[in-house]
Amino acid sequence: MNIKDYIESGIIESYVMGLASESEKAEFERYCDQYPELVEARRKFEEKLEAYAAQNAVPPPPEVKVKVLEAVGMEPRIAAPSTPPKIINMENQTDRRSSGVPKFLAAASIVLLIVMAYLYFQTRQENNDLSSANDRLRDKVNETDSIMKKIVGEQNAIRDSNTLVVNMVGTKVAPKSSANVYWDSASAKVYLVVKNMPQLPSDQQYQLWALIDGKPKDLGVFDATDNKVILQMKNTQKAQAFAITIEKKGGSPSPTLEKMQSLGKTMVTQ
Amino acid sequence: MALKERNNQAFGFLYDHYAGALYSIIKQIIIDNNELASDVLQEVFINIWRKIETYDQSKGRLFTWMLNIARNASIDTLRSKSYQNSQKNQELPDNVYKGVANQTTQQNVDNIGLKKVLETLKPEHRVLVEMAYFKGYTHEEMAEMMGIPLGTVKTRIRNALLQLRQYLK
Repeated sequence: MNIKDYIESGIIESYVMGLASESEKAEFERYCDQYPELVEARRKFEEKLEAYAAQNAVPPPPEVKVKVLEAVGMEPRIAAPSTPPKIINMENQTDRRSSGVPKFLAAASIVLLIVMAYLYFQTRQENNDLSSANDRLRDKVNETDSIMKKIVGEQNAIRDSNTLVVNMVGTKVAPKSSANVYWDSASAKVYLVVKNMPQLPSDQQYQLWALIDGKPKDLGVFDATDNKVILQMKNTQKAQAFAITIEKKGGSPSPTLEKMQSLGKTMVTQ
Repeated sequence: MALKERNNQAFGFLYDHYAGALYSIIKQIIIDNNELASDVLQEVFINIWRKIETYDQSKGRLFTWMLNIARNASIDTLRSKSYQNSQKNQELPDNVYKGVANQTTQQNVDNIGLKKVLETLKPEHRVLVEMAYFKGYTHEEMAEMMGIPLGTVKTRIRNALLQLRQYLK
């Protein structure tokens, strides 16, 4: 259905003025539930009709009001029956009555409203603060927990009976360099503990190698300043020896042997 | 709503505010009989007082509700036996169309309220609105009396009412 056509069909006027049939009324009320614009158009016509009727009002004889009020069980105030100031009397009474207790109640309710609003905002603020403090605390706990787990895992790996400790001693190029390699031959995991490795320029890094049948295998890079307790390197199944060299940042595919810093032999080898 | 609690002061205010507009409508239906029109107005306000709980805000404004009570009460009075008897010298029922048309022209002199608006309509439209709104005839009754199809009656009334809306702007 086109609601615009319906609005312009004259149904609004029929309905408002009581000229619509029962089925038209039912239909109109149903559409009013669905189309707010229909309700709006109805309201506009009603307002116009009301304004027009008010403009064309004819004052009824004053005794009608007296009779109506008597009939509905009210005491009409008969000040001067033929003049209408009754209206003013009643309105004055309304004003006088509303000046005492209701005014106090109105003032009290406003004060109460302000107090409640203040308490509400204060409570909400406290709640927000507590909630964010709680979040921060939870993050901290999670962080600590994961570090702990990692440390425990590394400790377990090092203490494992399969783990081999390889003491890396300094070469002639770098006699003071020293580190320990922990190699778990069962799981092939390799951990490195830096003891004393000289600081390198920022474009260089240390690289760990496993020597298998004389061939080097890359086990990853690390920095002397790495403040982690234990570094996990790449896995290797086999290794007769481990070597540390200085390479360009990010590592090299094959070791620069003249820059070998330290070397350690596994006990497996001869 | 204070009225629904039958607040006396609110009802007094309601009377003061709307009695004139409703009296005007009643007088446009019950013509030339101020005494009877006053009685109807009294009855209307007593009915408003009694039925205020049945007023449904979602279906329209309070004034619309009261206006329809006033109109229905006026038409009921107009159609009551006692009123018919007192108007015996008027046209016979089978001549109502002509009668209404005559009345319409006669009353031009002291037209008030909505009837003034009807002046702006074409005669064939005006008669139908007059009969429907101020005399309370149903569309079927009018179609039969005038010998025109029911659809035509409906269309003409709708068109007339739309013109009414224009005029009220």
